[in-house]
Amino acid sequence: MMRCDEIRPRLHAYVDGETAEPERVLVREHLAECPECGPEAAALERLSDGIRQAAPVYRAPEALRARIRAALRAEATASAPVARPAPGWLAYAAAILLAVALGSGGTLLITGEGQEDAAANQLIDSHLRSLLGNHLTDVASSDQHTVKPWFAGRSEVSPPAVDLAGEGFPLVGGRLDVIAGKPAPALVYRRREHVINVFVLPTSRGDLGATLTRRGYTLRHWNEGDLGFWAVTDAAPSELAELERVFRAATKG
Amino acid sequence: MAWIAERRHRSRFESVVLPHLDAAYALARWLTRNDADAADVVQEAVLRAFRYFDTYREGDAKSWLLRIVRRTCYTWLERNRPADVVPLEAEGGLDDGAEGVPQAAGNAEALLQSRSDLRRLDALVEALPAPLREVIVLRELHELGYREIAEVTGVPIGTVMSRLHRARSALRRAWDGKDIDDAV
Repeated sequence: MMRCDEIRPRLHAYVDGETAEPERVLVREHLAECPECGPEAAALERLSDGIRQAAPVYRAPEALRARIRAALRAEATASAPVARPAPGWLAYAAAILLAVALGSGGTLLITGEGQEDAAANQLIDSHLRSLLGNHLTDVASSDQHTVKPWFAGRSEVSPPAVDLAGEGFPLVGGRLDVIAGKPAPALVYRRREHVINVFVLPTSRGDLGATLTRRGYTLRHWNEGDLGFWAVTDAAPSELAELERVFRAATKG
Repeated sequence: MAWIAERRHRSRFESVVLPHLDAAYALARWLTRNDADAADVVQEAVLRAFRYFDTYREGDAKSWLLRIVRRTCYTWLERNRPADVVPLEAEGGLDDGAEGVPQAAGNAEALLQSRSDLRRLDALVEALPAPLREVIVLRELHELGYREIAEVTGVPIGTVMSRLHRARSALRRAWDGKDIDDAV
């Protein structure tokens, strides 16, 4: 039988479940019989229960989660965690353009089949990610005077965020993605029940105006000035041709 | 390609860290005692964790993250509310010695006794000096074991035990004076 002065220093550890088995039995036996240590242990347990009941349950607010995800994307962009440098825009755009050429019946040139699919997949993946969870937009607004300034300072290009609701493509908002290791603005439009992401990247070549279908999604590319636009959607290819037409008309001049 | 590696790296980080975001926020909230400050600290801590993700070894992600959150909290408190991190006076532990942590507030027991607004047990916990508050929060609310608490707070297990002991004694003495319904 352990004495009280041996039990007392072990009491907290016992109540906290930190006592190993042989000793645990000895303490338990003592507590069952001792008129002072038993109530002392019970009081400690009451205190623990009391704290658990009284303490508010703090949960990370949704806004904080969103902030952290956005900050991580920006952080990952600023400092690529891998030693290899991100591919330059030209190399990246060339891969995409090849993919587009392939889709429009052009010839497969220098690169292997893997590369243009990787490029198209990258855009489709970004599109899909935007549809998962609650991260379709970073800035939700149909007002171009809200969406366009939001991108200022966040990306290298400043996209013309025009609302095309009158033409059947309401602007939902804007989002900042990372493509090829760089922040890439995405304008989000709706076409009936479909979402259309328009990624805006610096342009590198002439206008292609081509449509490509991959994995059941449609991609369409066009250039305007020094910006390249890449629309991705699960809507019909003709919808993207229409979007390009009204988008060009709205941004001209 | 680099962007694929980048994405993989980030999604691995998110799958390791984000499940513990509530725990991280709760600890920061208890240490800063303020919603907005807790959010700022957690965001900073998560970014810091991301930068040092290479140093993370498979194992207890929760302790790893909480350790960074706690460190970030103390840095923040030292900068913004230095009064919250004054040294604990007369700390005796079983194997005390290397004390690298900021220790708080003179006489915890007297502090609790002297405040009349502490009618509820959670308010009593909140009024504890940070080094005592954090062991109570980590033990009772995060339900960490002594070894994990030692990891998170960076002190020996003996110090964890003596701080728990001390914190509970202070809470009980302050609490005993109140009606139980009032206190809880």
